[in-house]
Amino acid sequence: MSVSTIPWNHFGPHHFYPEKQKANSYYQNILPSTFLPPRGHSRPVYPGPNMSHSSNMNALSPDEMERFQKLSNEFEADVPGPLVSPKQSSHSIAMEYANADPTFATKTNALSISHPMTRVMKGDGNCGWRAVAFGYFETLFNLRDTLRVQRERERIKSLSTLLDQVGQQEELYEIFVDATEEVFAQTLAAIQNVEQDETFLVNAFNDDYGSSAVITHFRLLTSAWMKLNPLRYQAFLSLPLDSYCGSRIETVRTEIDEVGLQALVDGVIEGAGFGVEILYLDRSEGDAVTPHQLSPIRPSEATIRLLYRPGHYDLLYRAELPAVNMAPVVNFQYGMTTSYTPWDQGALSFDISPHLMSIPNLTADPAFGGMGGPMSPMQSHSHAPMPPVSPAPLSSYRVSPPQEMYQSPMQSHAPMPPVSSPPPVLPSAPPPMTVLPSRSSDGPQIRLNPLVMKPNLSHSLPVTTPFKNSSPYNQAHFQNSDFEPIHYAPNEHRR
Amino acid sequence: MSQKRIAKELAELTESPPEGITVELADEANLYEWKVYMDGPEGSPYQKGKFLVKLSLPTGYPFKPPTVSFATRIYHPNITNDEKGSMCLGMLRADEWKPSSKISAVLQFARQLLSEPMPDDAIEGRIADQYNNDNNRYREIAREWTRKHAMAE
Repeated sequence: MSVSTIPWNHFGPHHFYPEKQKANSYYQNILPSTFLPPRGHSRPVYPGPNMSHSSNMNALSPDEMERFQKLSNEFEADVPGPLVSPKQSSHSIAMEYANADPTFATKTNALSISHPMTRVMKGDGNCGWRAVAFGYFETLFNLRDTLRVQRERERIKSLSTLLDQVGQQEELYEIFVDATEEVFAQTLAAIQNVEQDETFLVNAFNDDYGSSAVITHFRLLTSAWMKLNPLRYQAFLSLPLDSYCGSRIETVRTEIDEVGLQALVDGVIEGAGFGVEILYLDRSEGDAVTPHQLSPIRPSEATIRLLYRPGHYDLLYRAELPAVNMAPVVNFQYGMTTSYTPWDQGALSFDISPHLMSIPNLTADPAFGGMGGPMSPMQSHSHAPMPPVSPAPLSSYRVSPPQEMYQSPMQSHAPMPPVSSPPPVLPSAPPPMTVLPSRSSDGPQIRLNPLVMKPNLSHSLPVTTPFKNSSPYNQAHFQNSDFEPIHYAPNEHRR
Repeated sequence: MSQKRIAKELAELTESPPEGITVELADEANLYEWKVYMDGPEGSPYQKGKFLVKLSLPTGYPFKPPTVSFATRIYHPNITNDEKGSMCLGMLRADEWKPSSKISAVLQFARQLLSEPMPDDAIEGRIADQYNNDNNRYREIAREWTRKHAMAE
C-alpha cells in the first residue's frame, strides 16, 4: 500500500490513525518511493541494511539505512488523547465530516441524532479490542446487578481452561486474568457503592498497564477460542489459523480485523448475553450508518455498539427513549399482576436481575407501608400534609387497600399491615382510581415494565390507546382505565 | 504485576535452565536487568565460547519485548558488530512480540540464532553476504572472534 493509492477519503476528513497502516505510510513519506517494495498488507517489514547492494538502495548509506531501520522498529504513532475518552456528544463526529462527502455528512448527522453519545478510543493498534473490552464492562456496570457481575467474573475466569487447552502456561497468563479480575472487582464495588457513572472504568482503562493486560487477556482467549474452533474461522483467513493467531491476535499492537472481532464476540462476549452491533460509517448507499449484528442476541439495552470507520473503532450510545425513565412509575401501576406467562428467557439477557425480578414483590414499595425505596421521598410521611391540589395520580394508588393492589403468588408473608399513610391522602384520591384495582385482578394480564417488554406484547393487549402519542410524563394517563404506555421498540426505529 | 511474572520466569529459568544457558540478576535488587551466560552451540563456529548476554526487561513487560544484547563481542550477521552487540529480529521486534512469550523462549531463540543465522534478516549485511557466499571464511572469522573474546579464561 503506498500513500498515493489510499483513497483521499479513506480515513475521513479528520484523520484518525488507522493503526499500523498509518505507521507504514508515515515511514513511506520519509523514504524515496523506490525504496519500498510494493507491499500488500500491514506487516511492517522494512528492508535492513543488508539490502544495500541491491540496485535501488544507492540513495541511502548504510548508516542512514540503519537509522531508518531503528526508527521503524521503534515507531509508535504519536496519537494524542486518552486511551478511552469520557462519553461525549457524537455531534463531534458530524462536525468532522461537515465539509466532507455528502454521504458522510448525511450519515453522521443522522448518527448524532440516533446515537447522541460516543466514546473515542485511542488509535494505537488496540482500539477495537479496547472498545469491546470497555463496552463489555460498561454494559455490565450499567445493568447494576451484582449477581450478574459475579457470574460473569466466574465465567471469564473459567475460560482459562481454553488457554490451558491450547497450551498457554498459567504462570504466563495469570497476570492478565488477574487484571481482568481487578476490573470485575472494581465494577462490583462501584455497583455496591451506587456510583453515579462509569468514571472508575474510564480510569481503569486509561491505566496503560491494566488496560494492556485486560486486552491481552481477551486477545489470548480469542486466540484460544479460534484454535479450538478452527472450522468456523479458517475459511475466512488468508493464512493458516495458527499463524494468524500468532501474528494478528496474540501480538501487542495489531488492530483487530473482522474475523478477529467475530471470534472475540463468539468466544468471550456472547456468553454474557450481550449483543454486539457494529455501525459502519462508509460511503455505501443510504443516509444512515449501516448496522451489523455480530451476535445472534437481540439488540437490547445490554448491547455494545461500535462505530467503525476504516481502521478505527469507537463506542456509540443510542438515544435513550423516555419510556426507560418511566420504569418506576409504570412498575408501581402495572407491574402488579397475579399471574403472567414467563417471558422468553433467551431473549432477555437480564432475566435474573434481582432488581427486575423483585418487582412483583416490591417489598420496598412505599405503598405497602412507607418504608424506604426509590420513591420514598415522595411517599414519606413528611409529605403527608400534601396539598389536595398536588398531582394525585402518582400517590393515589396508595388509597387502594393493599390486598386489592397486588398479591403475588410468591409472597409468603402475611397480608401487608394496613397502610398507615392513606388517611391524609385519601381525600385527594380521584374517583377513577377506585376502578384500577379491579383491573389488576380480572383485566388484561399485562406486565408493562418497559425493560422486559417484547415488541409483540401489544398484540396481546385488548385495550385501546387513546393516549398513545401523548407525553409519557403526563400523569393523567394513570387515571384512565384504558391507558397503555408507549412501547419501547428499538427495532422499528433503527432499521 | 510485571514483577510477579518476571520473578516466576526467573525462578523457572534458575531451577531448570535450558541447555547451554544460565541466568542471574545483574543486580539482586533489580528484576529488570539480567545477565545471561550462553554457551556457543556445538557445531557452530561459536562452540566452546561462553557469551555474556544482557537481557533488559522494559517496565512495560510483558507488553513490550525484552531487549537482548551481546556484551561479548561476536561475529554474526544478526548481531551488530560493535560494542553494543544489539540483536533485534523475529519475536524480539515490538510488532511481533507476544505477551504470552516467555523469556526462556527468547533466550533459546537467541541461542538457536547462533547455530542458524538468518542472513535474510541480517543487521550486518557484509557478514550476511559472507555467510551466503563464502561460508568457510565466515566460520573462520567467527571462530577466531570466539577464541579471542569468548574464551578469555
